[in-house]
Amino acid sequence: MTNEMLRAPAEVKYAEELDWLESIDDGPKPFSWRLSPRMVRLFVLGSERSDGLDREIPQKWFGDRGFVERSIVTLASDRGLLLIGDPGTGKSWLAELLSAAICRNSTLVVQGTAGTTEDHIKYSWNVSTVIAKGQSRESMIPSPIMTAMEQGVIGRFEELTRSTSDVQDALISILSEKYVSIPELDTDNTVFAKPGFSIIATANSRDRGVNDLSSALKRRFNFVRIPVVTSKASEAEIVRFRTTELLRRHRIELDLPPTLLDILLQSFADLRAAAASATSEDEKLESALSTAEQIGVLEDAILHSHFFGDRALRAETLAGALVGSLARRAPEDLAILNKYWHGVVEPRSKKDGGEWTDFLEGGRQAISTLS
Amino acid sequence: MSTFEALRGQLLDAAEAFSGGRDALSEILAGMVDDVDRMLREELEIFPVCHHSPASALAMTRRLRERRPKVVYLELCEDMRPLLDELRNCRLPVALQAFATRLDGFPPGSGPLSVVAPVTEASAEYQAIAYALDTPGVELVLVDRSVDHVFQWLPREQAGPAAAGESADEPEQEEEAALHGDAVGVEIGDLRPRFAELEAHLLHHGKVRHWSEWWDQYVEQPLTGADYDTYRQAMALIGSLFRRLRPSSDDRPAVDEERERYMWTRIREHLAESGADPADCLYVCGAFHAVSRVAESGLAAGAASYAVTPRTATRWLYGLIPSSHSAVEAQFGLAQGSVSIAAATWAKAAERGGLKPYRLQGQKGGRTRSKAAKPAPPAAREPAADRLSGFLATPPELDGLDEDELRGWCVDIVRLARRNGYLASTADAIAVFETSILLAGLRGRARPTPYDFQDAAVTCIEKDVVPGRRDVRRLCEILLGGDRIGQVGYDALPPLARDVYDRLEPLEIDPGRRTQQRVLLDLVADPGLVPCSDLLWRLRYLLPDGAVRPIMGTRRLGERPIQESWDLAIGRHQRSIIELGYEGVTVEQVLEQRLRRKVREPRATAGDALAAVEDAVVYLGGRRLADELGERAVELLAAERTVDDAPEVLRRIRRLLAHYRAAGPDLPAWCEAFVTAGYAHYCTLLPTALTDDDTGVRQVGAMLGFLFSMESLALSLGCERAQLELAVRQSHPEAPAKVALLWAAETQLGLLPRQELRARCEELLGNPLVVPAFPLYLSGFVQALEPVPGLAPFVVEVLSKAFARLPDPVLLPWLPTLITTLRRQVPELVPVLVREAGRTFPGGLTELDAWVPPWERPAAPARPARGAPAPGGPVTGLLVRHPQACDAVAALLGCSGGWAAGDGPEPRDTQVKELLARHPATAGAVAALPAGL
Repeated sequence: MTNEMLRAPAEVKYAEELDWLESIDDGPKPFSWRLSPRMVRLFVLGSERSDGLDREIPQKWFGDRGFVERSIVTLASDRGLLLIGDPGTGKSWLAELLSAAICRNSTLVVQGTAGTTEDHIKYSWNVSTVIAKGQSRESMIPSPIMTAMEQGVIGRFEELTRSTSDVQDALISILSEKYVSIPELDTDNTVFAKPGFSIIATANSRDRGVNDLSSALKRRFNFVRIPVVTSKASEAEIVRFRTTELLRRHRIELDLPPTLLDILLQSFADLRAAAASATSEDEKLESALSTAEQIGVLEDAILHSHFFGDRALRAETLAGALVGSLARRAPEDLAILNKYWHGVVEPRSKKDGGEWTDFLEGGRQAISTLS
Repeated sequence: MSTFEALRGQLLDAAEAFSGGRDALSEILAGMVDDVDRMLREELEIFPVCHHSPASALAMTRRLRERRPKVVYLELCEDMRPLLDELRNCRLPVALQAFATRLDGFPPGSGPLSVVAPVTEASAEYQAIAYALDTPGVELVLVDRSVDHVFQWLPREQAGPAAAGESADEPEQEEEAALHGDAVGVEIGDLRPRFAELEAHLLHHGKVRHWSEWWDQYVEQPLTGADYDTYRQAMALIGSLFRRLRPSSDDRPAVDEERERYMWTRIREHLAESGADPADCLYVCGAFHAVSRVAESGLAAGAASYAVTPRTATRWLYGLIPSSHSAVEAQFGLAQGSVSIAAATWAKAAERGGLKPYRLQGQKGGRTRSKAAKPAPPAAREPAADRLSGFLATPPELDGLDEDELRGWCVDIVRLARRNGYLASTADAIAVFETSILLAGLRGRARPTPYDFQDAAVTCIEKDVVPGRRDVRRLCEILLGGDRIGQVGYDALPPLARDVYDRLEPLEIDPGRRTQQRVLLDLVADPGLVPCSDLLWRLRYLLPDGAVRPIMGTRRLGERPIQESWDLAIGRHQRSIIELGYEGVTVEQVLEQRLRRKVREPRATAGDALAAVEDAVVYLGGRRLADELGERAVELLAAERTVDDAPEVLRRIRRLLAHYRAAGPDLPAWCEAFVTAGYAHYCTLLPTALTDDDTGVRQVGAMLGFLFSMESLALSLGCERAQLELAVRQSHPEAPAKVALLWAAETQLGLLPRQELRARCEELLGNPLVVPAFPLYLSGFVQALEPVPGLAPFVVEVLSKAFARLPDPVLLPWLPTLITTLRRQVPELVPVLVREAGRTFPGGLTELDAWVPPWERPAAPARPARGAPAPGGPVTGLLVRHPQACDAVAALLGCSGGWAAGDGPEPRDTQVKELLARHPATAGAVAALPAGL
């Protein structure tokens, strides 16, 4: 089935692994969970020799163990889980993995936007059926959250803070009373959540202040803050993991030279340091310079090399992809990149030579094309 | 046969199975067992400890109660022994400190040297100290190298994990974490992996966040209730593991082994001198040293095999300073809150185990001393059986869930969070409870550790923002023990600190309180407080900012205080006061020393010396020290070859002269010497300074200011004005600003008439080639107001002309420079300029139309020299009647001429005449004066 999907959800992609874990899991499971909390942790963070398993479970989310543990126990408790952090820190990926491991369904997702309404969270009506048969459970369209309640599984709410406050507050009763009333119906007008229901929401910390959560809603969520990955080793691991996956998805066979990965990581680290010491917004790149951005840059470069290049990743292509991804504002971002290229990359290419020289040249060309 | 033969066989088999042959692994594993075996076979009982380990403290208490040794050897710097007796006067934690400023034998510039050894109550060493000091007939012997050796060996000793201590986030915490200053820390029982990879490996596989948590979970908890043999063998095994797994590049082993040789040598020496039976002795050292493999270790080793290197001639001073849990954590790189948690665990474990810990008699703080348990007969030392096999083979017995304790924590954290601005409620307490248990379950333990609880509290209470100063993690640390800050008791303080406390007694403050205390001093109503005020000002000078802070009241030359109010934080800065005590016995002595040192520094300038004189007068009063410092100022001035300091010198000497003139009839001799030396010095340097590009206009202005304003005094002391005139004539500056200064000086000296000066300026303004440089001349004239204040009308005139005639492209860029010069360099001259401008320009708009600047008004016709009529009246009459006095004065001044005949009053004098006619009494009285004489 995975072959027919552009991007298979985690429960499909790792179905075999989940089945195996379920078969060996003898730990206590809360509610209707498919795996015990320890196995969920193992699925997300991967196994080690000391776990004594017959097969190796690869690590799927890279970050502090404590965050995963806190997230799992929150889902086992009465409260919803809100993953908060900068864009590109892997919040949604963690949410998907947790849902997949706990209930084998990570697709009950509501995407929070400025246009999200209460109907998207609770239910709406199929107008033609209502006209034909009147209001009934049959003519009702349950939202993903309501479906999750009915099935006793995890519902997900992406970008919670992008939706308006009144829409957010519709979650209060769902998280407190654990049922939704349908006043339009005379009978069978309450949907009760089954055990195992919980919500994983994600929020972008850069959106703070746009639609702040009410205190009542905050109380019903446990917040787990996911920081930007700063360890170079972890970041390299994440980039390698995700890129391999992307290559597989695109059915591309291309080697990722470690030197180029180093160059990419180093460039991002330099640009992050520059952003941290900047005194005004104009001196910072608009991009959050997250790990996801790095993966995006690398993906661009790989696709470009594969389809338009000689099927080998080159430093020039990587530089072009980096400039193209990060230069969002015409004068400001380009000026920062120009400064970086001449102030940092140029001396480094003189000192270290090698790929850095090609990287310098590619970047220069890209900047001059965009200028 | 060894006790551990079976275990050794098991381990060797395991190593072989793992690596397929006998190699380094089997060597390490077998070596570890050998190490433990060797320690157990040692004749002298070795007690391995780890710092801040409640399990160590518990085992120590049990062992001391059971065994009651007569001699306790402790791994602590031997020269710190006398300080231990003072511990009972302190509230723990405190740190033993050795301090040296006068170094002899260490590289210059490496001082001051400071060593601290913190002592907390929840430690095995404190138990040993308390037992030894309070039990009659027990001797406590410190055997580790002296603090002098700490520094002698330091170049080889790398800063360990202590250097990479976690940084504190909050200012409050930083302050407490910095209680030890930049001292080098020494500690008993440093037990931590020596290379980062091993520690990272242990943390990763232990599934814990930091070293303290790993230690708590894998060593502390299993050993808390263990019997003595298990404890001892397990600790020695861990010490041996870390000893054998260490990087070969590390320099520390050499120092560690040197220390071990030192300690064993001292022990042997003591045993030989005292004749004590080794069976009655206990040697308390870190687990790392307990399994020492140096040749000198053990009583059986050769006695004279190691020669202790001599100490340097550095004079060390010893004292106790307050410490805190956070300071200990910062110093030794422990996780934040770990020492507090260890203290709480210790208190609880002691209570649960029904153990009565040792406590020094009279020890301040904490709970009252529990009654000493009735001593049981000393237990004989039996050969230890193998406890390691059992310990290593079975999983640790973990504590069961203590619901009451956890519930208490949950309720308290919610209360604390609410007080700190969180919207926490009872529902949160329930959630924290549930989450703690779930987290502990996920991490494989029934009873949530404080770290699990902390994580749960953060998960449930922390939202997107921290409302107050402290976040939930910090609140948990406070709740689980909080930072404890020690205090050194009065009796353990150095004389200076005791003196300060005594002298501040009239203020009725509590010197031990760590909060700020406000005191009000009404010095008029209660003159008895004046000495307190003096002391506070001295302390303000000597102590760091914030220790004593005046809110109201200043102390400057010539001012007498009436009322003062102070914010005092003496308790919080106890360490600073104690460290002052290393410099002298009274605050005054320290202040004198510091002032002397300030003027004797190689880089000291005359300005610094004058500042020191001023401080001496203000803070110490009396002339003795001020005169001594003043003499040094004269020497420094005469030796100076630059005039960079001239503005400072001028400002300060003017203030000091004004003070001395107001205070007494005579100037101090050094003042006179300073003025004459300065006059000659600045006269000599003037021509160079005026031409030298590196010397600023402000400096030259200050030099001229010195020369002109001190001129009368200098001339009266024998200086020659000709020297100044010559110096001015020799000066040929080229920079416009300095040219203007020189012109001003010439005007002052009468070498350049005002009219000619005006003409020169007119010429400059009229010359289009020079106009762009005219603002520079103006800057020079502004600076000239300092030495030649009489030039103010002319400066106003020139400024007005510049504003009127300079083209905007020249004038406007210069205006900011003028304003900044006036504000920064000559703020005291601005009122002079403003006053003069007010006098020159009309006050209202109506007068402005008809106003003509004074310099453009036609010159008044010169009065005939003899046209002035002599006014009539009794005074004239008197002078005419007695002309001898006037004639004599005229002859002295060299005036020729005779008396004018009284032509009668001019019409314009009628007003005076009328006035005199209306009030004749004054004139009559004056006229009667000579008659009365």
